[in-house]
Amino acid sequence: MLKTASSVVVARTHGLYDRLASFEGAPLDRQARVAALDRFFSTRSGRERPGRYWRVDLEGIAPAVECVDASFGTVRIVNPNARVVACDLSTAASAHADLFAQVFGATGVAQSKFGALATAFAHLGAFVYVSADVAAAEPVMVTYDAPDGTAIFPYTLVLAERGARVTVIERCDGGNAFACGVSEIVTNEGADVTFATVQQLGSEGRAVFTRRAAPGRDATVTWADAQLGAVLAACDISTAVTNPGTHAGVTALFFPNARQHVDVVSTIDHLVGDSTSETLVKSAAVDAGQARYLGNIRIAPHAQGSDASLRDDALLLSPDAHVDSVPALEIGANDVKAFHGATVGALDAEQIFYMTTRGIERDAAERMIALGFFEPAIARFPTEALRERIRAALAAKLS
Amino acid sequence: MTEPGLRIADLHCSVAGNEILKGIDLTVESGRVHALMGPNGSGKSTLAFALTGHPHYDVTKGSARLDGEDLLALAPDKRARAGLFLSFQYPAAIPGIKVANFLHAARQAVRPGELAPAKFRALLLEKMDTLGMDPSFMGRYLNDGFSGGEKKRLEMLQLAVIAPKYAILDETDSGLDVDALKDVCDSLNALRASEEGRSTGFLIITHYPRILQYVIPDVVHVMIDGRIAKTGGRDLAHRIEEQGYDAIREEVAAIA
Repeated sequence: MLKTASSVVVARTHGLYDRLASFEGAPLDRQARVAALDRFFSTRSGRERPGRYWRVDLEGIAPAVECVDASFGTVRIVNPNARVVACDLSTAASAHADLFAQVFGATGVAQSKFGALATAFAHLGAFVYVSADVAAAEPVMVTYDAPDGTAIFPYTLVLAERGARVTVIERCDGGNAFACGVSEIVTNEGADVTFATVQQLGSEGRAVFTRRAAPGRDATVTWADAQLGAVLAACDISTAVTNPGTHAGVTALFFPNARQHVDVVSTIDHLVGDSTSETLVKSAAVDAGQARYLGNIRIAPHAQGSDASLRDDALLLSPDAHVDSVPALEIGANDVKAFHGATVGALDAEQIFYMTTRGIERDAAERMIALGFFEPAIARFPTEALRERIRAALAAKLS
Repeated sequence: MTEPGLRIADLHCSVAGNEILKGIDLTVESGRVHALMGPNGSGKSTLAFALTGHPHYDVTKGSARLDGEDLLALAPDKRARAGLFLSFQYPAAIPGIKVANFLHAARQAVRPGELAPAKFRALLLEKMDTLGMDPSFMGRYLNDGFSGGEKKRLEMLQLAVIAPKYAILDETDSGLDVDALKDVCDSLNALRASEEGRSTGFLIITHYPRILQYVIPDVVHVMIDGRIAKTGGRDLAHRIEEQGYDAIREEVAAIA
């Protein structure tokens, strides 16, 4: 067989190709699904050089073949806003075909390894559309549920027209399941989208999320991601700033305990100037939990007037816990502001002493300090109910 | 037979191998105000940390009893629950813990189950008003981004809310402007006049006599080089104001 230098031949013998059978039809035809699966097998994750203690290779992550079926998993969409469209993927692809086409795959998410996998099996999902100048008063809630032993590919899409405002809360709940999900946000001029995600799979689950945003001119896109469940959780969040006046926000929090691994990458690409971004990451690790965070801030050579900040703090709560925190700032322009601050450390002895002098037991003081450490990040998640859910999950890891 | 009072006897304390306290004898009685004065570096703050159980302060000799209970055998939280309170000169900032939640946890720890949440809130607002603190303080993170004056007010608020048996105030007056000092002293005097706080014994550490114009001490001690060099009435504070610590130092040296 002849092979050109740039092509990779995929044998298509893997059992996952057979599983495409149950995924026929909208939003993708078989050919496109096969192509996406080809890309999954032929693309590197870009995360193949883990830290020296890292025990998991992201390259090898794939669902067990027998766990993949279009009938697995559910999505519940709650949209209290009369003027906001929120529906499942097949409804979106048929009833809102033109709008759907503007966002599905528009961020290039399928170019990434796990974005390609989620695309190949795109079926379970939600589409949120906000027309021009509509401000959604209430968050749209999208809740995925993956029962034990299933693989799901949750795909959430948000399209916000000029001046639209919306908050979307995506939860991924379930048992010891495999979830490979995608989020895509596309906005027009001056839109404001907050997308908050909380992953709480069972303690033997695996979760891999790829999230991409393409904000319009003067638009704001704010991600808030909490990876709480699963034994392996990987999340890759990226916003491409291609229009001036954009504000890109990222908040990420994670707290591996027991034998959990969490791997988070955030990327802000300032491809044009006069744009701002703010990244806040709070992580802790306890027991043999380990986490890796890679924070990319890239400011292109012509992107003058970019203003980017990246703050990441990690708390190590036991001797076997690890957090690798790697900020990566590539600044190509000279008239920019770029701030970076990072800390990694144990609990502060003076803080503990101070609290104990108020009669608070040492264990309780340590818990309060550790949970308090996350508060600046928790505060950036929408709704008190969601914040309480996150607090409860973090507290459970400490008990 | 337990002897009431915060009784410190022949207390020696070292920090990183250096002996700072060289035999302190001092008793603070319930409801009384003792001032502990002395120049910088004389060991006043070391006494405060030794009594509250800071892990870096090694008590090498002597005893400290609170109404008969052996403080030195207790962990810091148990010392607090026994009735000891320290107002820190430099309190720790703890982002993420709200003032209201912290105060509630502290009050519950020291005086468990006494106040319903609504009553606790009312108590807080009343004490904050005395201290000239805006109610918005309750929602702020503990000492996080606080000015020096705000930190001291918050220490006084904790003191008022906990109403301990014995309170050590470590240079609470330092860095305060006159208005802030007056608020702090109003709060102290309000506590001393209250049902909960009338039996609180105070050890007020300061190197300026200023605070003692508002909170009148019953006894004044002067600490020099890790020892109580002189003990007297409130006139001793006036003398220090006029003559400085050198006069005391020379007097003590002459006797020795």
